[in-house]
Amino acid sequence: MPSLKNTEADPPPIRKKRRVIDGSFLVLSAFTAVAGIAVFLSSGAGRTLEIVSDTSAFIIVLSPKIAAGIFIAATLPLMLPKEYVGRLIGRKSGLRGLLIAAFCGAALPGGPMMTFPVAASLGAAGADLGSMITFISGWSLLGLNRTLIWEFSFLPADLVWTRYLLSLPVPILLGLAVRTVLRARE
Amino acid sequence: MNIIIGTIVIGAAAVWLWLKLPNAWWRVASYLASFDTFLFTAPRVLIALLGAGFFAELLPENEVRQLLGEEADIAAVLLSVVLSTLTPGGAFVSFAIAAAALRTGAAPVAAIAYVTSWSLFSTTKIFAYELSFMGRRATLLRILVSLPVPFVISGLAYAW
Repeated sequence: MPSLKNTEADPPPIRKKRRVIDGSFLVLSAFTAVAGIAVFLSSGAGRTLEIVSDTSAFIIVLSPKIAAGIFIAATLPLMLPKEYVGRLIGRKSGLRGLLIAAFCGAALPGGPMMTFPVAASLGAAGADLGSMITFISGWSLLGLNRTLIWEFSFLPADLVWTRYLLSLPVPILLGLAVRTVLRARE
Repeated sequence: MNIIIGTIVIGAAAVWLWLKLPNAWWRVASYLASFDTFLFTAPRVLIALLGAGFFAELLPENEVRQLLGEEADIAAVLLSVVLSTLTPGGAFVSFAIAAAALRTGAAPVAAIAYVTSWSLFSTTKIFAYELSFMGRRATLLRILVSLPVPFVISGLAYAW
């Protein structure tokens, strides 16, 4: 694994502000409000409150994981040497480049607002489309943060393991497919 | 148990990363970024988990069992794939819905198809982020090569 950016001389990247309330947040809130009203109408106030308190208890149990996950999700992208990784996973990087891309995707925490800008900047630093798609698929299918924080908390462990192990080669295969398609077109 | 193991692994990774921060300047930047991420994430997690809880209560048990239950076939997988693309919110929403469907009688294969396809094809991710950062050509190419994945994965899971 390439070493993280940690020379004392390098300044940390500039803080970028994000809007807390955006379109997807409003859609999510509307979805929750409608579902809440539907539960209230079909099962009554008692059941609605029970769901609220069950959910709160679950969030409290998960909160240490969520807190650690937030710290990682916020800090790792600051430290990731994008220039260096981008150069490592260029068009001629072969299977090794795809492996690095898949690993970086799986290791990168955070949501799509984090991942797609990183993927684009890897492309700007020299990564080809095949390894960018391997990177995105590695994040989508194998994201460690997501699987450890959320997937194992909700779904039966054997199901998570089955899905994860079966998905393990997929990002590499997709990258190879993309490289083959693009080469055929040239 | 899963929750405790996950907490320990994630906690250890956080401590390791904190130790990697080279100086006070970087630590402050990391705290500020964490604070911003918290402001962004906390309301989403709260509202999404609540919505998933309500949604689970509303799942029609008979239909779930009938359409996605033990006799889950290619139609059930296809239905899971279509439903997953329409799921709003973050990963926890899709996992919560999959868990609720499993409790109501859906087959594990349907849950795997749903989660896999959500990971790859969630429309909110594609429209809100991927198209604007990656462009139309790269997005389309990724979707096309990924199309068989949920079917292959759930087929293999079924055979397994």
